[in-house]
Amino acid sequence: MPQITSVYGLFPGPHSAERGMNALRDAGVPGDKIVVLAPEPFEEYEFAQGDRKTAMGWIAVGGGIIGAIGGFVLAWYTQTAYPLVTGGMPIVASWPTGIVTYELTMMGAIIATLITLLVGSRLPNWKPKLYDPEVSHGKVLIGVVEPSDDSRANLEDRLRRAGAEKVKATGRFATS
Amino acid sequence: MSAKTPEQINEDLLRPLSGVSPRYFIVLGCFVAVIIAAMFAFGWQINNGIGVAGIRRPVFWGFYITNFVFWIGLSHAGTLISAILRIANATWRRPVTRCAEVITVFALSIGATFPIIHLGRPWIFFWLVPYPSERGIWPNIRSPLLWDFFAINTYLLGSVTFLLLPMIPDFALIRDRTTGLKHKIYNVLSLGWTGSPRQWHRLEKAMQIMAIAIIPVAVSVHSIVSWDFAMAPVPMWHSTIFAPYFVAGAIFSGIAALIIAMALLRKFLHLEEYLLPIHFQNLGKLLLVMSLLWVYFVFSERLTGWYGNESSEMSVFWLTQTGRFSGLFWTMVVCNFIIPFPLLAIKKFRTITGCVIASIGVVIGMWLERFLIIVPSLSHKYLPYAYAASPYRPTWVEITITAGTFAGMVTLYMLFSKVVPIISVWELKWGQHPEEARDPLLARADEEEATA
Amino acid sequence: MVIDLDRCTGCEACVVACHAENNISTVGEDQAGRGRAKHWIRVERYYEGEFPDVKVKFMPVLCQQCGDAPCEPVCPTFASYHTEEGLNGQVYNRCIGTRYCANACPYNVRFFNFYNPQWDKPLQLQLNPDVSVRSVGIMEKCTFCVQRIKAGEIQAEAEKREVRDGEIQPACVQSCPTRAMVFGDLNDPNSEVSRMARSNRATKLLGELGTQPKVTYLQRDSANVREDA
Repeated sequence: MPQITSVYGLFPGPHSAERGMNALRDAGVPGDKIVVLAPEPFEEYEFAQGDRKTAMGWIAVGGGIIGAIGGFVLAWYTQTAYPLVTGGMPIVASWPTGIVTYELTMMGAIIATLITLLVGSRLPNWKPKLYDPEVSHGKVLIGVVEPSDDSRANLEDRLRRAGAEKVKATGRFATS
Repeated sequence: MSAKTPEQINEDLLRPLSGVSPRYFIVLGCFVAVIIAAMFAFGWQINNGIGVAGIRRPVFWGFYITNFVFWIGLSHAGTLISAILRIANATWRRPVTRCAEVITVFALSIGATFPIIHLGRPWIFFWLVPYPSERGIWPNIRSPLLWDFFAINTYLLGSVTFLLLPMIPDFALIRDRTTGLKHKIYNVLSLGWTGSPRQWHRLEKAMQIMAIAIIPVAVSVHSIVSWDFAMAPVPMWHSTIFAPYFVAGAIFSGIAALIIAMALLRKFLHLEEYLLPIHFQNLGKLLLVMSLLWVYFVFSERLTGWYGNESSEMSVFWLTQTGRFSGLFWTMVVCNFIIPFPLLAIKKFRTITGCVIASIGVVIGMWLERFLIIVPSLSHKYLPYAYAASPYRPTWVEITITAGTFAGMVTLYMLFSKVVPIISVWELKWGQHPEEARDPLLARADEEEATA
Repeated sequence: MVIDLDRCTGCEACVVACHAENNISTVGEDQAGRGRAKHWIRVERYYEGEFPDVKVKFMPVLCQQCGDAPCEPVCPTFASYHTEEGLNGQVYNRCIGTRYCANACPYNVRFFNFYNPQWDKPLQLQLNPDVSVRSVGIMEKCTFCVQRIKAGEIQAEAEKREVRDGEIQPACVQSCPTRAMVFGDLNDPNSEVSRMARSNRATKLLGELGTQPKVTYLQRDSANVREDA
């Protein structure tokens, strides 16, 4: 079990999760201490909107440009390093160079997307962290990390009133 | 469809992953035996020389290149379903995406082995890779075979990414439901996924970018494969229509393969409530459109050839229409159009069985089409004295290796469906949101609204 | 090269000489029946009419060493390329056996080693040490006896002179009993080859494909063709 101290509630669906989020905000919990874990993206809901900004699209374009340059250099270099005439074509044949450049452009974009995804979502991360297997069973986890000791009861009560099926605590608050 | 609870969905879709029946092992064993026979045949070919295959002068390409083009073509199934339908926001695609993407990755891998199998000296196939070699020479990127190398590798990378990324949340799901060694393995595979909004946003964004990126890659892959033929001055090869013709044919065969795969999965994994008749009907309509498109391309190509009446082209033309290859040609037309058209166009026949029969016909027909593009043209090039005096006949080596690839595809699919849920669980749930019914406060809020 | 079809009798001495000079193995009746024979030069025959009014047209066909060769750009390993002297070179060591070049050649003059070549004893003693023996999986074709070209050039350089016209002869040219084949330097306008290529009987085989073949065929002079009474 994780060593992180937290209090969280497991909500049966996105509407109740939304209420839980609002309850925590009304309690004055700062945004960076609220944890949300969901089994689905829930794009349309407010609670799932954290950490949204990403430059992934632009990075993919950048990766494509790097791939294009790499492809062009590869094509140009391999044709001039050992120049052999074939079929009356010029040594640096434009159409084949274009095709290889295009393919490596797409390869660059794909690799850039993949790397940005892993880095941006901080995966792989096998270290112990806050998680509850109930999340993959369909529950939304809304909670607070490192709450102050005296706010614990208040938070648990708010989560329950917002509709949490279960309210749990971990770390030093863990009961068993 | 009655809404299923998330637990039920988990239960149904994860059931194949737990345990295997004796029947599974027997069936798998049969296919693995065919694969072993194919590997033996390939070893025989390396040992004795490629003369043990049926290729001959002037038909230097035969079954192996037919299979190469066929499998690469089949791999376009996933691209259409996952990428194009995703961009078009067609929500019915959700249960189907992973089946399709799996076909793509495996068909592509199988297809990519054939450029090695068909070589006269396959042990130096790596000379196709542009690396700084001690020979001081690089491969010739003016050759369409090099374009194949880059295109297929890019598409393979893209398809594998497209397949693996949405599997991460499902691996997390399985991780949370297993213990022991399985738990450890899926823990590693899930990369520590927790489901935070940060992760979901990035995953979704990555899928969007991949969907947009993979479509031009897929189009380029099969165009480049078609240019293996179109770049050579061979009668009925040197045609500008080849690139779109091949891409359309690829999507055509891909959808057919997908329908067959879905039907088999539905039956053997008891997914009747997930892979519904509407999915087959929608795919069947797409298959119908592609069949008509295929007829259009074949007609255009043949019309211009016949009208131009160029002697070398006409020699090949008549070879397929009325000559030695006419039996195969008309079988192909029947399989690709005559049989599928009524089955898919008439709503009463567009049942799951109807779609599957049409698809089997299409798979056979498209394989024949690849064969008929390659062999008749090579048999009758320009100089009549050099026509193929003895017609191309495949030998047991080629037939065994071909059978081995089909067995390989089925085997890979069977193994995959036991390790990963073949329907993407989170995407399916996301399309349904069935948990609303169980939300007590919402129910109460609804009651309050109703009484207000 | 110029081939005068008026003088060619179809005797196929050129075919035999080529096999001997270039270490081309025979493949046996069974394999030849399956289209695996490797005749770098072959005499094509076309028959017109029914017996007894049969007319035969024949011509020797060998690698045309095209200026714009379709076999060259398609080889992924540069095994087929254009030399500086204007020949279409085939580098056996680079060939991995994709057979793309053979498909692209409109003249079907490229041949593939489907098996390792074999010579029954004691015929292996007859092998030409100047020419390599190709193993299984390698394409081969007529090289205009490049080993003889190189030998002639080296000899001329050693003697500090130019190569004389007619000094270098490929095996087929050398063995032709009617001197139907002539070989020389097309860059020299005074060589016999250049003069004959300017003849009004000169044609190129499949010239309309744009391959720029270097072999010129001189059509049969109609005055010399015997008309049936």
